[in-house]
Amino acid sequence: MRRFIILLLACLGLGLPPARAAHTRVTLLLSATTAKPGDTLLAGVDLQMDPGWHTYWKNPGEAGIPTAIKWDLPPGVTAGDIQWPLPHKLPPADVTTYGYLDEVMLIVPLKLSPDLKPGQPLNLQASLTWLECQDQCIPGKAKVSTTLNLGTETQASTNAALITSWQQKVPGPLNPAEWSLQAYWDKPAEGDSRPLVVTGKYQGIVTKSLHLDSVDFYPTANDTFAIQPATDLSTAPANGFQLRKTVKKYSGDWPLTVAGVITIQGNYGAQNYDVQLTVASTAPVPITASTSALNAPTAPTQSLILMMLYAFIGGLILNIMPCVLPVIALKILGFVGEARSQPARVRLLGLTYAVGVLCSFLILASVVIGIKAAGHQAGWGIQFGNPIFVVSLTTLVLLVALNLFGLFEFNLSGRALDSASQLTLKHGYSGAFFNGVLATALATPCTAPFLGYALGFAFAQSAPVILLIFLMVGLGLSAPYVALSWNPAWLKYLPKPGAWMEKFKIAMGFPMLLTMVWLFNLAAGIYGSQVLWLGIFLVLVAFAAWIYGEFVQRGRSHQTLALLILAGLLTGGYAWLMEGQLHWRDALKLDGSAVSLKDGADGIDWASWTPEAVTAARAAGHPVLVDFTADWCLTCQVNKKTSLEIPSVRAKLKEMNAVALLADYTHAPDNITEELSRHGRAGVPLVLLFPKDPSAPPIVLPEVLTPGIVLSALDRATN
Amino acid sequence: MKKLFVLLSTLALAATTFAVDIGKPAPDFTGTDINGKTVKLSDYAGKIVVLESYNSDCPFCHNHYATGAAQELQAQLTAKGVVWLIVDSVGTSNDSYRTPAQARQEWADFKIKATAWLADPSGTIGHLYGMKTTPHLFVIAKDGTLAYEGAMDDRPETDGDPRTAHNYVKAAVDSLLAGKPVAVTKTRPYGCGVHYAE
Repeated sequence: MRRFIILLLACLGLGLPPARAAHTRVTLLLSATTAKPGDTLLAGVDLQMDPGWHTYWKNPGEAGIPTAIKWDLPPGVTAGDIQWPLPHKLPPADVTTYGYLDEVMLIVPLKLSPDLKPGQPLNLQASLTWLECQDQCIPGKAKVSTTLNLGTETQASTNAALITSWQQKVPGPLNPAEWSLQAYWDKPAEGDSRPLVVTGKYQGIVTKSLHLDSVDFYPTANDTFAIQPATDLSTAPANGFQLRKTVKKYSGDWPLTVAGVITIQGNYGAQNYDVQLTVASTAPVPITASTSALNAPTAPTQSLILMMLYAFIGGLILNIMPCVLPVIALKILGFVGEARSQPARVRLLGLTYAVGVLCSFLILASVVIGIKAAGHQAGWGIQFGNPIFVVSLTTLVLLVALNLFGLFEFNLSGRALDSASQLTLKHGYSGAFFNGVLATALATPCTAPFLGYALGFAFAQSAPVILLIFLMVGLGLSAPYVALSWNPAWLKYLPKPGAWMEKFKIAMGFPMLLTMVWLFNLAAGIYGSQVLWLGIFLVLVAFAAWIYGEFVQRGRSHQTLALLILAGLLTGGYAWLMEGQLHWRDALKLDGSAVSLKDGADGIDWASWTPEAVTAARAAGHPVLVDFTADWCLTCQVNKKTSLEIPSVRAKLKEMNAVALLADYTHAPDNITEELSRHGRAGVPLVLLFPKDPSAPPIVLPEVLTPGIVLSALDRATN
Repeated sequence: MKKLFVLLSTLALAATTFAVDIGKPAPDFTGTDINGKTVKLSDYAGKIVVLESYNSDCPFCHNHYATGAAQELQAQLTAKGVVWLIVDSVGTSNDSYRTPAQARQEWADFKIKATAWLADPSGTIGHLYGMKTTPHLFVIAKDGTLAYEGAMDDRPETDGDPRTAHNYVKAAVDSLLAGKPVAVTKTRPYGCGVHYAE
C-alpha cells in the first residue's frame, strides 16, 4: 500500500516537495547570534533522521547520493565547503554505502566580508537536497533560513558548543607524530581491477604492544575509479596495519594518488585523518633498522647514548694504545710545551688538531656508510656466521697480539711514520691539523676496550648513527689534547714517556689474545671438532710471524732465505691444513636434530624449525611459537633469557599445548633467510606466533621482547 | 543461517569481481519473466542485449519511467533488434517487491517497452553481474562480450527530464550497431542500492 502512496506522491512531482522528505528534519544553526564584519562563523546544517533511516556522506559508496547544500546568501557573505563528520560504513555487504544514521550536522564556514556595515541583520538561506533510505529510498528537499545580526562585537550563540562538538568529528589532517602512512599497488592490474595496499606504522611511544580494533579507509568519490568498500586486514605488521583494497577503474589511467579518510581505533585511541596518499607502483622495501627502533623506542635510545659514551671512552683510551701513544703524544705534547708562552695560540692549535681528527673520522664514517650502501645491508652480526670472515678476523687478531708482544713490527706503519714525522715537525696550524689526521690513521688498526663494542653497534645502524658514533670516537681521541692546550699546567700529572710504555704494550697483547679465543670459539661453532686444523694453522702463522720479526726484520743476514722459508711454511700450511683438511670456506653442516635444544629439565621443549613442522603442528590444532635466533645475536639471547625461557611463559606454553620451534640462523641458511624476508625482516631476532586457528595469520612479535608482550601475544593466539 | 548468507554473498561477490569485465564474455543465466516464461541470455546469441537493474520505487529509477524517457529508449532500441531485459532483484521481504501480478500491472501502467521483465527475487542474476544500484546497466555486444557497464546517463537526479542528459546506453548501442568501438565502456553507476534478499 505504502509504495502506491509513494508512487502517487512521486507522480504528483514538484508540488509537494517537503512532504516527500518524510523521514528527515533539517535545521540551520549558527555559532554566533551577532558577528562583526570580517568574521568567519560556522553554520551547522543538522539532519535528524527517523530511526533506521540514513542519509549519505560526500562519497555515498556503491549507491545513494550525497546531501547537497545550495546557499542563498546576501552580498558580502560567502560559504565554504562542507566539512563532513566521520560517516558510518553501512550494510549490506553487497551494496555498501557511507552515511549517517539518526543524526548528522554538516559544518559550513561562512565568511563575512570586512566591507559589511554593522547594523543590518542578514538573512541566510540554504536549499538542501538529499536521499534518505531505509528499505526504500526517498529524495528529500528542504529550505532552511536564519538571521544573523551584524555588530561590532561577536556574540556566540547557545548552539556554538554543539556545532563545535560536531566539527570535532570531522577528520583532520594526518598527524605525522602519530602515524605514518604509505600506499602502493600490490600487483599489476587484472582487467579493470587492481589491488591497493595502504600501510600504517604507529609513530608514538609504544609502551605496550599496539592492538587495533578496527582500521578502514573511506575513499573520496571519483568519476574515473572506485575504491571498493571491502577491506582485507589479514596481514598485520607489528605496531601498524596493512589494509588491502580493490580499486575498480571506470576510465582513464590508474590513479597516482588516492584520497579519503583513514579511521583507526585501538588501544591507543581513535584517529581519523583526511588524507591524500601517493600510490607507489611497488611495495616499499622494509627498513629493518627503523623498524627495530619503532618496536622498542626506549631501548635503542638508551643504548645509543650508552654507545656514544662507549665510543667517547674508546677514543680516549686510543690515546694510550701502543700504536698511537709513543709517537703522537710526544709531538702534541711538544707543541703544547713549546708554545706555553702564547696561551691563545696553543688553544687554537689544540682545536685545529681536534678538527683534523674529526675530519678524518668523518671520512672513515663515509667509507663505512658507502660499503653498507653498496649492498651489505644484512647487518653487522651476520658476518660472524660466515667462515671466511671469522677465520680472517681470528688470524688478524692473533697477528695484532703477537705484534704487541713485540714478536714483529708492522713494517708499513713504521715507514709511514718516518716520513710523516717530518711533516709534523712543521709548526703552526697545518702541522696541528696533520697531527690530527695522522693520529686517526695510526689509531685505525688499533682497537681499544669499549671501542669495538661501540663500532659493532654502529655498523648495524643507519648512516646518521654511524656518523655520530665515529665522531664520538674522534672527540674522545682529541679531547685530552684540547684539554691540555687549554691548561698546559696539567702536563705535570702525566707520566713521562719511557720504558713503561713497552711494558704496557705487551700487557695490551693479552686482551687481544682473549678476543682471539672468543673468535676461535665462534669458528668451533662453524667447523665442529674440525676446528683443530684451524688451531694448528694459527700456531703456524704465529711461528711465521716470529721468523719474520726475528730473521727478516731484525736479522742481519740471510733475510731473503728467511723470507723464502716463511713463504713456503705459510703456503704449505695453508694448502694442507686449511684447504686439504678443513675445507675452511665451507661451513660444516651441523645436524641440528642431534643436539638437544632443551634448556634444563623444565625448559621449553624446542624442536628444530622447518616450514613443514609449522604446517603439521597447525594442522593438528596446536598454536606454534617460532624463535628465529643465532649464536651471535645478542638481542636474541637477551630475549630468550628475559622473556621466553621464564617460568610464566613456559607454563603458558604447556597450558595452551603449544609447539615451540627453534630456527637457528647462526650460519644463515637460505630457507630461514627466505622466511625472514617473508615477514619483512633482514635478520634475526624474529619471533612468530601462529594462532590456534589455522587460517589466522601469524602474530609478529617486536624485536625486543618483554614478558608482558609475549604473554599477551600468547593470549591472543589462543582466542 | 547468517554464516551461510555471508558465505553465499561472499561467493556472489567473488563471482561478480571476476566474472564480469569489459571485453570478456558476459556470463550466461537462466531466469523467469513475469509471465512465467523461461529466459536464457544465450537465447539471444548474436543480438545486442541491454540488462537494467530495476526498482521503480527508487526515485532515480522512477524518474526515468515517470518521464517516459526509459520507455522511449526501449522502443527505439528494440525496434533495431536490440533485446532489453529488466532485472528486478528486490527480495520478497522488501516493500518494493512485486508479485508477478503486480509487476504485470506496473508494466501496463508505465507502458514499458522492454523485451522482458525478469523476476529475480533471489538476486541470482543481480549478484552474477554485480548490480549495485537501480538503475545499473549492462550492454552486451552481438559476440556475447560485455561492451558497457555503469550508469544510464551522466545525470544522477531524481527529477527533471533525463532526455537532456548524455545517455551512455544509447551511445554504446549506437556504436555497436555502427560497428564502431564503444567510447565510454565503464561509468560509476548511481541510484539506490539494490534491495537484495537478506
